[in-house]
Amino acid sequence: MTSFRRFMQNRTGMVGLLIVLIVALAVLIGPALIPYGPEDMDFMAILAPPSLAHPFGTDSFGRDVLSRVLLGGRVSLTISFAAILVAAVLGSWIGILSGYHLGWTDGVLMRIMDLLFAFPSFILAMLLMVLFGFSSVNIIAAIALVYLPIFARIARNTTLLIREEPFIQASRLMGRRPSAIMLTEILPNISAPILVQASVGLAFAIILEAGLSFIGLGVQPPTPSLGGIMSDGREYFSRAPWVLTMSGMAISVALLGINLLGDGLRDLTDPKLRERA
Amino acid sequence: MSDLLGTQPKASSLSDRWGPVALYLLKRLLSGGLVLLAGTAAVFFTIQAAPGDPALAALGEQATPEAIAAFRAEYGLDAPLMAQYLRWLLGFFQGDLGQSLAVARGMPVGELVLQKLPATVFVGLFALFLAVVLSLVLGTLAALNRGKATDTIATSIAVFGISMPDFWMSYVLIFGLSLGLGLFPAFGYVAPGDSLLGALHAAFLPALAIAAPMAAVFARTLRAVLIETLSKPYVTAARSFGLPRPFVILHFALRNAMVPYLTIVGLQIRYILGGVVVVERIFGIPGIGSLMVDGAFARDYTVLQACTVVFLVIVLVVNIAVDMICALLDPKQTVR
Repeated sequence: MTSFRRFMQNRTGMVGLLIVLIVALAVLIGPALIPYGPEDMDFMAILAPPSLAHPFGTDSFGRDVLSRVLLGGRVSLTISFAAILVAAVLGSWIGILSGYHLGWTDGVLMRIMDLLFAFPSFILAMLLMVLFGFSSVNIIAAIALVYLPIFARIARNTTLLIREEPFIQASRLMGRRPSAIMLTEILPNISAPILVQASVGLAFAIILEAGLSFIGLGVQPPTPSLGGIMSDGREYFSRAPWVLTMSGMAISVALLGINLLGDGLRDLTDPKLRERA
Repeated sequence: MSDLLGTQPKASSLSDRWGPVALYLLKRLLSGGLVLLAGTAAVFFTIQAAPGDPALAALGEQATPEAIAAFRAEYGLDAPLMAQYLRWLLGFFQGDLGQSLAVARGMPVGELVLQKLPATVFVGLFALFLAVVLSLVLGTLAALNRGKATDTIATSIAVFGISMPDFWMSYVLIFGLSLGLGLFPAFGYVAPGDSLLGALHAAFLPALAIAAPMAAVFARTLRAVLIETLSKPYVTAARSFGLPRPFVILHFALRNAMVPYLTIVGLQIRYILGGVVVVERIFGIPGIGSLMVDGAFARDYTVLQACTVVFLVIVLVVNIAVDMICALLDPKQTVR
């Protein structure tokens, strides 16, 4: 409760939370409020500039860009959120296992993580997409795999910090199973840095997903995604800049909210670590 | 007595640092080599494990079994996996990356890579340079004016910067500086060998697009680290000796902030290279990124494999270089 109150006083974090909530609401209920579906074509209004009827304009098929951006945003955010969730859960698990058992478990797991970490993130995601296909599940898996080592390292390092604490030793002496200790003693105590990293990771996941879809190796049409809409928009960028601009701004607003929220959370968990990436 | 003083080792002299640094370099090269070896194996076997047949991808679904068998024999795809990998590895160390299956069928991939590598390295280094310069200015200004308007402006620019993915930044720059003001070309590439000025002019927008989000990350790091070092006792001491403020900032605060700053720069190379792929595509730069995307769409597995490994090598080289600079700046690093 006290940490929640402290967060309420953090202006950066609150502004971020507000933006994130607005974005979440917009992509969740927005599409239902708009009179046009994302696939509805209006051949009388092809590449129409922003107006009251179409606040974000229309694209080359006369489709309402706002409606597409909201639905694409829903697709992109869902994929990114799922990917980070998978990476955070699996990464924490690997990190706690490594940090708790040490020895060869640690050696093997961390070398695998180091190897994953050595590849440029976008290159690795791109390779996996080409090899395993463009389904949403594969995009989630590819992004999750890219962020796995980051979560694993943080979980391992924080586990190392607390593994010799009296309350952990006590549980060990009480004869509790290691898996129970990891789940009920260690996990709750390392969740704060994991949460902060998850917020930073979410922003990067959105960029990664949008980048993949932008070059055509992510979400495939006709399913709208933010990167996909931007990619459509670049083809008639000089004639109708709003398609690209509006979808780009949508990405920036979402990222801004998540980044500010992440900064706020980081201040909260460790003011000394402020802005250290 | 003067003799005694004279023979005392000077801890800060550069020549004394080379010994341990050379040893450290050797260690890093060795571990880098191991990562490279494991990385090539991982890439090779992942590609093999993936569904999809390179022969089918190159010849099309209608290919006859005879044609597929001939293709597999021609490219050595019929050998056992381990033998294929070892042959690939042996070739890799001799600069032979196999033959392209689809992008430029039959052409040695090594040649393709050599053709495309200079553009990527040039644009990448230009972007890195811009990011470092921008972030040094922004981060230092923010840290020195902590809490004032300059700080607020600089930190706000940085937060907006990390909220602009490079491909979106590319179009903002094209829209403003190319289509709007007509200052820079929106498309195309000039080789630095032909005209250095022309090359810098043509590559400015793509480099800036890649640099901007990175500069934001670097500047945030530098600001935080610099604020920390500025509050250290040695900075106060140096100031109290009457040393001028700019001198103290440059020689004490900034210098000590460089190691954590450079560490972040090294880590971010992974993301810079991702930006290179998309931005090369947007600006039509004939680099490794474009080659890899072409390879991806053509399902040219040898090209994909080669590009991935080349990117891995670039990451390793940059990280080792960054570690070396850090070790020279702070010899304590080499003790580990």
